[in-house]
Amino acid sequence: MNERLHIPQTRSTPEISADWDAGVVSMSGDSYPENSFEFFTSTIDWIKQYLKQEQRPLRLELRLIYLNTSSVKAMMDIFEMLEEAHRRGRDVSVDWLYDPENERVQMLAEEFREDCSFPFNITAEAKQA
Amino acid sequence: MNTEVADRESDEAAVLEEIGALLKDPQYEGNPLRPFLQRLYQLHRRQSDRLLRLVRISDGYHGMARHNSDTLAARIEREVMRLKKIARISDLYQRQLRELADALRDASLTDPLTGLRNRRYLTDRLREEGVRAQRTRTPLCIAIVDVDHFKEVNDRYGHDIGDVVLCNVARALEGVLREYDTVGRWGGEEFLVLLPDTTLENGFKIGERIRARIAELRIEDSERPELRAISLTASMGMTVLREDEDVFDAVGRADTALRTAKHAGRNCCHTA
Repeated sequence: MNERLHIPQTRSTPEISADWDAGVVSMSGDSYPENSFEFFTSTIDWIKQYLKQEQRPLRLELRLIYLNTSSVKAMMDIFEMLEEAHRRGRDVSVDWLYDPENERVQMLAEEFREDCSFPFNITAEAKQA
Repeated sequence: MNTEVADRESDEAAVLEEIGALLKDPQYEGNPLRPFLQRLYQLHRRQSDRLLRLVRISDGYHGMARHNSDTLAARIEREVMRLKKIARISDLYQRQLRELADALRDASLTDPLTGLRNRRYLTDRLREEGVRAQRTRTPLCIAIVDVDHFKEVNDRYGHDIGDVVLCNVARALEGVLREYDTVGRWGGEEFLVLLPDTTLENGFKIGERIRARIAELRIEDSERPELRAISLTASMGMTVLREDEDVFDAVGRADTALRTAKHAGRNCCHTA
């Protein structure tokens, strides 16, 4: 199993890194890849494997800004996987961090959170100098 | 209804029990009809067993179909909810992009310092107003306003104060102009004013009001009272678009008139 996953950021895709030991997946940037379904496959597989093989907690750290429609769908798929794991008693959580100057992102994160019963925190994050 | 069914069933059970008892009774052993009754009795037994089994199987299928359609309906319902959510979130993202595009377009046409329209906007506007004036045969008055000795303000008080002066002049210009007039920063300390449907004579009056307003400007700063000493004047070149003339030729003429005003000692408006 490729325990480490790192996809560097491009103009149209977010940076994604997954740390098996820490149990953290982080995603940041804009996401409008030409083929979203393929783009998110490795991440979705990683999460699936982690939830299957490990019993430790899983945390998603998101700093996503713009998502196109198929990226929205991919994120919903991921949140549904977490929701299912949560229902089975797993410790899963999402931290969605946003730039306080962009309140729209907060509103969007809240939309995503709507059907999730696991801990889903939406927090303003001061810009790094 | 149900009691009827129950009655019939208990009738049937009673009849069967009676026949069963008759068949077992040794006194009818020699009866020639007995084997036939026996066969009929067994045939009935088998038939009702089959019927029962048939009903059970049929009920089973029925239940299964209902269960399937229930879960299918639920699944479709869930999928529809999901798609609605995707569409809703996606719409929000799209709105965000549209607003960003609007803001960027606005920013690309605005001078960040004074908040007035910038040269790019004025260039488009000049073209439009030029075409309109030629078509409607109405006079389009064009003026270029230049703050006198602005470099000295910058050199003496610093660029921050120079910026304040430019903003004050911008507000003064906006204060004098009418709703359908256009003013923008043409560059440096130069402002371009477009007065549609305005003769040179009326334009000149507006120009004089602009100059008077600029002369009244004072910078009030309790921490720097010396700034109150700054007293501004402006020079102006003004013209009206001629028939069949390119609007940018008229702008060139206004600019020449401005140079003339400068050479004539500043603090005045020259028309051409």
